[in-house]
Amino acid sequence: MKARGLWGLLACVSLSRPLAAQVPRFLGLDLQVSRPRFQSTSPGGGEMLSGLVAGGRVRVVLRPVSLDLSYSQGRLTADTGSAAARDIVEGSLFLSARPVPWLALKAGPHLRAFAAPGGTERWVLWEGRAHADAPIVQGEWLAYVEGWVAVASSVNVDPGAAGARGAEAGVTIKLPHSPLWGRLAYVVDQAQLKNGARTESVQSVVLAIEFGGR
Amino acid sequence: MRAALALALVILAGAAAGAARAQTPAEQVARGIRAYQNLDYDSASVMLATALTQQDSALADSDRARGLVYLGASELYREHRDSAAALFGRLLRLDPRYHIDQLVFPPEVTGLFQQVRLVTRAVAVVVPPVSDLHSAGQALSIRLYATTLHPVDVAVLRPNGMQLRSLYQGGVGDSLQLSWDGRAADGSAPDSGRYLLQVDSRGSDGHVVRSVVLTLDITRVRPDPLPMPAPPADSLFRRETAPGGSGLRALVTGLAAAAAVAVLPAIVTSWSSASTDRFVVAGGLGLAGILGFQGLRRPQPIPENIAANRALELTWQRRVDSVRAENVALQQEVRIVIRAGAGRVVEAP
Repeated sequence: MKARGLWGLLACVSLSRPLAAQVPRFLGLDLQVSRPRFQSTSPGGGEMLSGLVAGGRVRVVLRPVSLDLSYSQGRLTADTGSAAARDIVEGSLFLSARPVPWLALKAGPHLRAFAAPGGTERWVLWEGRAHADAPIVQGEWLAYVEGWVAVASSVNVDPGAAGARGAEAGVTIKLPHSPLWGRLAYVVDQAQLKNGARTESVQSVVLAIEFGGR
Repeated sequence: MRAALALALVILAGAAAGAARAQTPAEQVARGIRAYQNLDYDSASVMLATALTQQDSALADSDRARGLVYLGASELYREHRDSAAALFGRLLRLDPRYHIDQLVFPPEVTGLFQQVRLVTRAVAVVVPPVSDLHSAGQALSIRLYATTLHPVDVAVLRPNGMQLRSLYQGGVGDSLQLSWDGRAADGSAPDSGRYLLQVDSRGSDGHVVRSVVLTLDITRVRPDPLPMPAPPADSLFRRETAPGGSGLRALVTGLAAAAAVAVLPAIVTSWSSASTDRFVVAGGLGLAGILGFQGLRRPQPIPENIAANRALELTWQRRVDSVRAENVALQQEVRIVIRAGAGRVVEAP
């Protein structure tokens, strides 16, 4: 229900301008690698895994909104103990708008799956995000912080999803004499099952190359 | 009585001679023509012959031509056909374009004139007094008018008599238009100096029977190089840097973002599960803030002013290149001025 409200709000923002103004202005493409650390905690114990994930993002900038589509995939292996290795696959689609130049509001689905030999755990999170950025060096270095909460969530594991939240902070630097930007970021999120049955968190250091679409 | 009559005739003859001496050659020609028209061919011959024996400069070419044709006609009617033919030949050499007026002269006169034209090989050469050849494609116009169909050689000769350029070898009937680009046979521009335009008329045996020679005073003029455009004045250049700021904002932003990275796990999860990897990012942000702080304290480039200055320099440089290229072209371009003198006829020995 909350997700519907957020989508409705963004739709109103996007339709409040003439359609002619919504033609794509530019297209952005990111390629990124990250090193995630996955930690699962439950009353009975926990497990820690880490690995390497590669992914990409396509950004279509419309006026006054933009659309971000991302996908990443990698493999996590146990840091300690005998936790089973698993694949991690994530995808998201966010519609975002900038009410003020330094702030972007985003909303959309975020899917995450852990594919292990014993079965696949699938999360569906409807997230609302706030992204703020500030220049360190005008037009060249940009620091940003992003926080998000899942306004609706589900998981195919009992007793079901209790919620999720996350944050990201980093710096984006324009590479000299190039249309490319580099990004270094730290991302952390946490998802919980109901009744405190289990808490899962993923922390990643992300290194990305961006082309256009800023 | 006889003595008195003789004295009177002597006085009258002396007066007539004195009167004749007082007349100009042109007036003598006019009197001769009137005598011809009065059918007094003997008097006409005497008067016209007297007028035509004057120096060339004393009689205009047109009067000389009129005198010759009337004298020739008078001689024909005095049964001196050879003399008449010689006079018509002299007239045609003087003016190869001369045509006898068939309304004035009877057929026996015009017929003889045409017979003489057929055997007289002469050419009139018409060249503009001044020709300015200042670009490719321009040429000196040379027009030949011939008495009758015959072969001619047309050439420009160097001051030492050597040939500079052969312009034509072949027949000419009524007239022929030629042109000369002012260059030697190898395409080079001749040095300044006096050259000759020579038109040789050849006889039926192939030998040169007559030549018309015109002086051509050639002047090579090299155009002055264009002046180089002056570099843009300093006042036109914009300031390329602005004084550095405090940079404090960059430092604060970087450090704040670094701090945010450091505390994010506590906000989202818990300190106990925080990964130390985040300090790589926090360090990067902090370093960016410090570098930004230092960088912004230095004078800051103003990109739009730098671009405007580069555009100004580029525009000036393009103008310089353009003028330089034009000057190179001008150095290769030679303007040639040709002043043609009067033609003179040289009879073959």
